[in-house]
Amino acid sequence: MTEQAMRPQFMGARVKRVEDPRLLTGQARFLDDIDVPGMLEVAFVRSPYPAARIMGIDTKAAKAAPGVRAVIAFEDCPVVLWQKDAYEVGQPVLAHGEVRYVGEPVVAIVAENRYVAEDAAELVTVHYEPLEPVLDMYRSIAENPRRVHENASNVFFYKKYTTKGFDEAFPAAAHHLQETFRTTRQTAVTLEPRGTAAMPDPASGRMTVYASTQSPHRIRGDLAELLGWPENQIRVIVPEVGGGFGMKANTYPEDVVVVWAAHQLRKPVKWVSDRTESLLTDVHARDDIHEVEVAFEDDGRIIAIKDHLMADGGAYPAYPFSGAVGETSLASRVLPGPYQIPYIETEIHCTYSNKTPLGAYRGVWGPIASFVQEGIVDRVARAVGRDPAEVRRINMIRPDQFPFRNAAGMVYDPGSYGESMEEALGLIGYDTFRTRQTELRKEGIYRGIGISVFVEPTAMASSEAGSVGYESVFIRVEPTGKVTAAFGLGPTGQGHETTMAQLIADQVGVNVEDVVILHGDTDSAPFGGGTGGSRSGPIGGGAALVAGREMRQRLVKLAAHLLEAAEEDIELGNGQAWVAGVPDRAMTIQQLAEIAYTHVKRIPAGMPIGLELVARYQPERSVSFSNGTHVAEVDVDIRTGMVQVLNYVVVNDCGRLINPLIVEGQIYGGVAQGIGSAFLESLRYDEDGQLTTTSLMDYLLPEATDVPRMMTKHLVTPSAGEGGIKGMGEGSLIGAPAALVNAVSDALEPFGVMVNRLPVTAEDIRQWILA
Amino acid sequence: MKPATFEYRKATTVADVVQWLKDAPDGKVIAGGQSLVPLMNFRLARPSVLIDINGIRALHHVEYDGSTLDLGALIHHQEIADHPEIQKKFPVLTVAARHIGHWAIRNRGTLGGSLAHADPASEWPAAMVALQAEIDVQGSPGVHRVPASEFFLGYYTTVLEPDEMIVGARVPATGASRIGFAEVARRTGDFALAGAFVEDCLDGTGFVTWFGVSDKPQRIAVALPPARETSWREALEQLTLNDVAEDKIALAIEIAERALKHSALVGAAYFGAHAIRGRD
Ligand SMILES: Cc1cc2nc3c(=O)[nH]c(=O)nc-3n(C[C@H](O)[C@H](O)[C@H](O)COP(=O)(O)OP(=O)(O)OC[C@H]3O[C@@H](n4cnc5c(N)ncnc54)[C@H](O)[C@@H]3O)c2cc1C
Repeated sequence: MTEQAMRPQFMGARVKRVEDPRLLTGQARFLDDIDVPGMLEVAFVRSPYPAARIMGIDTKAAKAAPGVRAVIAFEDCPVVLWQKDAYEVGQPVLAHGEVRYVGEPVVAIVAENRYVAEDAAELVTVHYEPLEPVLDMYRSIAENPRRVHENASNVFFYKKYTTKGFDEAFPAAAHHLQETFRTTRQTAVTLEPRGTAAMPDPASGRMTVYASTQSPHRIRGDLAELLGWPENQIRVIVPEVGGGFGMKANTYPEDVVVVWAAHQLRKPVKWVSDRTESLLTDVHARDDIHEVEVAFEDDGRIIAIKDHLMADGGAYPAYPFSGAVGETSLASRVLPGPYQIPYIETEIHCTYSNKTPLGAYRGVWGPIASFVQEGIVDRVARAVGRDPAEVRRINMIRPDQFPFRNAAGMVYDPGSYGESMEEALGLIGYDTFRTRQTELRKEGIYRGIGISVFVEPTAMASSEAGSVGYESVFIRVEPTGKVTAAFGLGPTGQGHETTMAQLIADQVGVNVEDVVILHGDTDSAPFGGGTGGSRSGPIGGGAALVAGREMRQRLVKLAAHLLEAAEEDIELGNGQAWVAGVPDRAMTIQQLAEIAYTHVKRIPAGMPIGLELVARYQPERSVSFSNGTHVAEVDVDIRTGMVQVLNYVVVNDCGRLINPLIVEGQIYGGVAQGIGSAFLESLRYDEDGQLTTTSLMDYLLPEATDVPRMMTKHLVTPSAGEGGIKGMGEGSLIGAPAALVNAVSDALEPFGVMVNRLPVTAEDIRQWILA
Repeated sequence: MKPATFEYRKATTVADVVQWLKDAPDGKVIAGGQSLVPLMNFRLARPSVLIDINGIRALHHVEYDGSTLDLGALIHHQEIADHPEIQKKFPVLTVAARHIGHWAIRNRGTLGGSLAHADPASEWPAAMVALQAEIDVQGSPGVHRVPASEFFLGYYTTVLEPDEMIVGARVPATGASRIGFAEVARRTGDFALAGAFVEDCLDGTGFVTWFGVSDKPQRIAVALPPARETSWREALEQLTLNDVAEDKIALAIEIAERALKHSALVGAAYFGAHAIRGRD
C-alpha cells in the first residue's frame, strides 16, 4: 500500500447515505412495487390450530370462484424445507397431514389479485381433528403431553460443556446465588414485510425471483435444490429491502410456493405478507430460559457460572437453521461477556413446540446472554453490598490479557472493555448519581442507573448468513473512469451503497460519488454469503478494500508505464494519477481507463485488457469481537409502573469506523429495539396455543416518543483484519435491554426488585411494588 | 388483510344516510375510518354498503354561543385540540384531544366516529359524560337529543339504532367547578390503561368519570376530603370493572388523584408537558 492509501479520504468520514434521498422521498422500489402485466397474487389458508390432524381439504368452491387461477395443497407442491444433516424433521411448504402451529400455511390460492385470493381462501374448508398442543419447554423436554413430531424427540439439540476444574471451584467459592432468567418471544417486525415475486421468462426459460431477503445467493441455491432446477436457471433479484434483522435470512415456505406456482402457471406470481401474517409466521426469537447458579467471593469476584439454557424452537427448525440453536449455543460460549470468570458449566436443551419456528433476530443470542450476564453481576453486587460499577471493575478482563480465552473457550481479540465502561460512566455523571438518587428518593422519585458492558462477536466464519466465511467483489473501472462494484451482500437498510463506495473510492483514487455499488442480483453479483451476523462491514468491507487495492495496483502499473515513472512513485487521488512530487506529470483515471479499454496497444506487456476483476476476502480469524458499554438512566413511576428513559449513553468500539454517521444510526436503531425488548415487545400464546398478539395493537413496538436522545462516543481498537474493521450491526441491541432493565432494578432497589424477565411491563412493576 | 367486498356510496345529506341505512341494515357509516377500516381489513366488520359521510358539510362545525359548545360529528380530534375558543372555554377538551392516538389519527378520526364506536378506553365518550353533554342523533323521524349518560350501553355499544347516525354533540359550559384530566397509556398515543376526568366543585365534593377501567363511562359523585382513597374506592365499586386486580384498582385511584391535581392548575401549567404526554 502506498503511503497515501493509508491516509484515507473517505473511510472514517461522515459521508451522507446515498440511499436516503430515494427512501425519504418515497422513490425506493420495494418488493410490493414490482408489478408486471398479468401478475397474479397469492393468499394462504393458514392453520387456526396449534396442533391438529388434517382429515380432509375441500377446495371445490375456492377453485370455482371467479378470478381464481390455482388452489395448491401439499400434494401439488410436495416440497419439504429440511436441512437433513442437522435435523430429523423438516417443514412441508404446505401442511402435510398435520398442522403444528397457528399460521402454518395449508393451502395457497393464486388469483387475479389479493382481494379475490382472500375471498377464495374463505371458501376452503379444512377438516381438522385437534390434538393437544405442546406449549411448555419443561414439559416438552419430558415429551409431555406428547411429541410434536411422532418420529423425532422433542429435544432436537442437546449440549453440555464444563470448564476443567469447574467441579472443584464452584462449591469452594464463598457465596452462591440462583436465578431463573426468562426472555419472551419477539420478532423482528420489519417495516417492510416479507414477500416474494416470481416471473418465468418464456424466451430463456429462466425464472426471475424477486425476494425480500438478506442472502440473495443462498435463496437461489435453496430454490434450485428444493425444486430440483439448475442454479443458473434462477435469477434472484433483491429490490430495496425495508429491514431484515435476521428474520429475512431464512428461506420460507411461501417463497417456494410462489416460485412453484409461477413455474406451473407460466405467469408472474407475487405474495406479500400482511402484518398479521408477519407476526404469525416470520421467524420468532428470544424464547429462552436460563436457570443460573453463580459462585462468587466476598469482594464480588465471580468464580463460576452454571447455566441451564433452554430455547423453544417452535414446530420446525426454520430453514436452514433453527434460531433456538443459534440463541443457546452462542450464548453458552459468550456468557462470561467481558468478565474474567474462570469457570463455566452449561447445558442446553432446544425443544420443539406447537409454536412458530424460532429463527434469528438481531443480536440472536446476544441480548439474552447480556441480560443474563449483566443481571448476574448486578445480583452479585447487591449480594455483597458493593457498587455495581465496582464489581464490574473487579471482574473485567484487563487490556494486558488479550487475546483472552474465556471459560467457554472463545478467544477475544483486543477490545476496550474497562475503558468503555469508565468513559460511559463519566459521560452519564455516575460519580454524582448516587447522591442524586438518594435525594430524589426522598421526594418519591425512583431513579435508577443500569450498566451493560457487552461483547459482540462479529465477522464470524459462520452465521445466520450461512457458513460462507468470505465475501466477493466484482469491480470495474468503466471506460469513462467511473467505478462500478457488485457485491454478494444483501443489505436491508444498512447503507452498503455508501460505506462500500467509501472504501473503494479511497483505494481507486476517485470521489465517492463516482462509485456505484450493486448488490442483490445473482446475475451480476459474485457469489456471497449475504448480510447477517454483523459481517458485511468487516468481511464485505474487507473484500471491498482488497478489490479496490488490486484495482489500484493495476491503475498504478498502467500509469507508471504511461508516465514513464516507477510504480512506487505513482500516486492516485481525486480521479488522477501523478508522479509523486511532479503533479503536472499526471493523467486522469478517465484517460487511463480509456486506454485500458480502447487504445489497448498502449497497455504494458503482461497486463490484461480492461479494468475488471473479482476479489475475495476471508478474515484469518474466525471471529472478531466488538465491545462497548451502555448506561441507561430511568425513572420508574411506582404508582403507574411506567418507566421513562431519561438519559442514555453508548460508548462503542467497533474497531476502525467506515462511517460514524452510519455506525451511530445502527446504534440508535438498536437501542430503540432494545427499549422494545426491555419494556414492550412480547408475542403471547394463550393456554390453547393461540397467538394473541397478531396486530400492532397488541404487539407493541417502541415509538419515536419512547426513544430518548442518546450520547454516543467511539473508541477504536482495530481488528487484525482488513482495514481494522469490526462488525457492529448487533451490539447496540445486545447491550441495551440489560442496561434498561438493570436501571429498573436499581431504581426499585428499596423494594428489593431484581428484574429477571424481558420484557418488564408496567403491570409487572405495579405488582412488584404492591407485593 | 383485505376487506370483503362492499358497495361504496358517498352521501351529501344526513337524510341520504338515514335512508340508505334503512335500505341496508348491515350498512355502515364511514367517517375517519380509523376504527372501521382496521375492522374491515380483519374482516371482523363486513358491511354490504359503506356510506361515506365526509361530504356532508353541515356536520363539520364548531360553534360556541356563550353557554353551549356545538360540535359537528365530523370534527376531527386535531381540530378540537387546535381550536382557540375550546382551549379558552373547555380547556379539558384540548388536553384530552391531545391524548388521542397520534397526529395522523387525530387528523382523520372524528368526534362522531369515536362516540359511535364507543370504545370504553376512548377519551371522547368519557369527556361527553363528564361534561354532561347531549348527543344529537338523527333517524327517520328527525333529530333527537340523548344525554351522554344514557348514550353508552357498554363495550362498543350505544343506543344508536341501525338506521340512525350521530350528527353532533352539545357541551354545556362548565360553570365554577374545575375539571382536570389524567391518563396513563403504555405508549404515547395508545388507548388508555386508565384515564379520568375529575370535576372539583370546590366545596369538598366533585365528580369522577373514568375511562379504560370499566365497560362504559359513568359520572360518579365523590366526596373530596384531603384523604380521598375511600371516596375513590366507593366510586369504583359503582362500576363494572374490566379487572378487579388490586394493581388495577390502585392505578385507577392514582389516575383520579392526578386528574384532581390537574384540575387545580391554571394557565400554561394546565397545558404543560406534565399534563400532556402526547408530544407528537
Ligand atoms: C393507532 C390508533 C390509535 C388510536 N388511539 C386512540 C386513542 O388513544 N383514543 C381514542 O379515543 N381513539 C383512538 N383511536 C381511534 C380513533 O380515535 C378513531 O378515529 C375513532 O375511534 C373513530 O372515529 P372515526 O371517525 O375514525 O370513525 P370510523 O372508523 O369511520 O367509524 C367508527 C364506527 O363509528 C361509526 N360511525 C362513524 N361516524 C358515525 C356517525 N356520525 N354516526 C354514527 N356512526 C358513525 C362507523 O360506522 C363505525 O362503526 C386510535 C386509532 C388508531 C388507528
